[in-house]
Amino acid sequence: MRVIDYITVSFLVVPIIIILINNLLSKHIAKRISFYLVGAAAVLQIAASVADFFLLPYYKLHEYKFTLLWNIDNPDSEYFAVNSLSLVILFCIGFVTFISVLIAKHTIDRKKVSYVNLLMTLIFGMNGMLIVTDLFSLYVFLEIVGISSFVLIALFKSETGLEGSFKYLVMSSLASIFVLTGLAFVFMHVGSLQYENISKYILSGHGSSRLYLMYAGMILLIAGFATKSGAVPFHSWLPDAHQSADTAISVLLSGIVIKVAGVYGLIILSRLFDGIPAVNLTLLVMGTVSIIVGALLALKQDHFKRIVAYSSVSQVGYMLLGVGAGGTLGLLGAVTHIFNHATFKCTLFSNAAALHEQTGTLDINDMGGLHEKMPVTGFSSVTAFLSTAGIPPFSGFWSKLLIVMALWMNDFKVFAGIALFSSIFTASYFLRLQKKVFFGKVPNKYEYVKEIGGSIKYAEIFLTIIMIAVGLAFPLALLYLKGRGIL
Amino acid sequence: MSNFNLEIIILVVGFLMIIAGVYCLIRTYHLLKILIGIEVAMKAVTMFIILAGHINGKINLAQTFVITMIVTEVVVAVVAAGLAINLYRKYGNMDVRNLRKLKG
Repeated sequence: MRVIDYITVSFLVVPIIIILINNLLSKHIAKRISFYLVGAAAVLQIAASVADFFLLPYYKLHEYKFTLLWNIDNPDSEYFAVNSLSLVILFCIGFVTFISVLIAKHTIDRKKVSYVNLLMTLIFGMNGMLIVTDLFSLYVFLEIVGISSFVLIALFKSETGLEGSFKYLVMSSLASIFVLTGLAFVFMHVGSLQYENISKYILSGHGSSRLYLMYAGMILLIAGFATKSGAVPFHSWLPDAHQSADTAISVLLSGIVIKVAGVYGLIILSRLFDGIPAVNLTLLVMGTVSIIVGALLALKQDHFKRIVAYSSVSQVGYMLLGVGAGGTLGLLGAVTHIFNHATFKCTLFSNAAALHEQTGTLDINDMGGLHEKMPVTGFSSVTAFLSTAGIPPFSGFWSKLLIVMALWMNDFKVFAGIALFSSIFTASYFLRLQKKVFFGKVPNKYEYVKEIGGSIKYAEIFLTIIMIAVGLAFPLALLYLKGRGIL
Repeated sequence: MSNFNLEIIILVVGFLMIIAGVYCLIRTYHLLKILIGIEVAMKAVTMFIILAGHINGKINLAQTFVITMIVTEVVVAVVAAGLAINLYRKYGNMDVRNLRKLKG
């Protein structure tokens, strides 16, 4: 056994072990240590993904294949695999989980054990989605992610939570029906659902009637994963679900779940259907519409978390543009944007948690001038806004630049122009948010509001440092990737 | 020739079942009826997968897919029923039109 064998298996084994520990302990002890268990799992996941990322070139592997208990050498055997792309997203999962626990320490005071169980199931599902190599296993893990998210949203049984969860469940079931029908048609045509077989045989047999069914399946698969990612024609569930959940859970949903369940699925599809230009065009059009419509809808909301949720719709549009542009550069832009979006969405949601804890409301019309009262929250929020809008020294600038460059180089110049100019929309809705919440006159009732302390404050400081540091050090990362031969 | 007919018949019936499920989803105002609509559409999908296995000669693989699918489907149904029961306890009936807290 090599080192990499042990490290890679940990992505699946660690969540299960944490669930076991959490449930085998007596309830009294479990309540006290469950958050530390999740923290440990998140740190382990971050360490494992970083170690794997640097071990891959050491073993001269493009993709590391492994199984749990069965033999990989059998013909047509299922196997798991990790590559650089999935390792970056696995890193993001660990990162967002860590932030979620920091917020949960403040906001969640009952049902801690159930929160930890569901969170670990969610992470198990997301890790599974990233390492499987056939479409049906992808669907199974997608369903695990979906189910644990429904229960997490409705965890505290508030009226809004149950409502948001039910809407998400109905939309998600429709997405499952789309994905499974598409999968059945692709299976009918190809005779296997492994990624390598699909991309090999997808276009064989021109003119037969089953090829048309395969095209129908392709459309259904794209629609299903677009529903999961919240891209615009299918976005109706997203703000409801993300607003009504507890903030520690909204961070997870908005920060990583829509990207793993939706955007990663679309990345896989764009790879499988490589030779069909219509797929890229669909993703580009959907992305552009998402950017503009999401931003315009965000402009007229009054609830802090709802604005941030619509901002997610708008930013998913950028990722879809990156995926649709194709090529290594577009994919790199999309993955970098996944990481950057995770950082600034975590910041904005920890701001939301801080504001809700200190003022008791999230209606932005009630607030004002909180910058003086809560300097850390104000500063981190402004940083997150500048990063989202793509202002140069911050991290968001680089990913948007990569996406626009990829679009331009692949001759999608119209879309590049739209992507460039729609940054103005992003700036406009965030300026409105910042002005109403952090600037202006302080209302009388908030005369004695203080800065939040403890873990949320540390999370905000940590995230602000990451956003600025990634923005400054990004050229070095590009040089490293060039040295590894990826770029 | 008979094979070809079977294919067409199952495709058409499955398509009709999906239409029926989605129609039920749109038209009804009852939480459990929405769940029934989803389940009807899911059964059609199960049929498609079996048909796919029949056509490409990998019926064993298709059967394992279907069994796994039934399990996940049941879990979704359980969660949905739990949500419906909790909503019933809040509002006293199962009308979807109660769900109007989140808008915009």
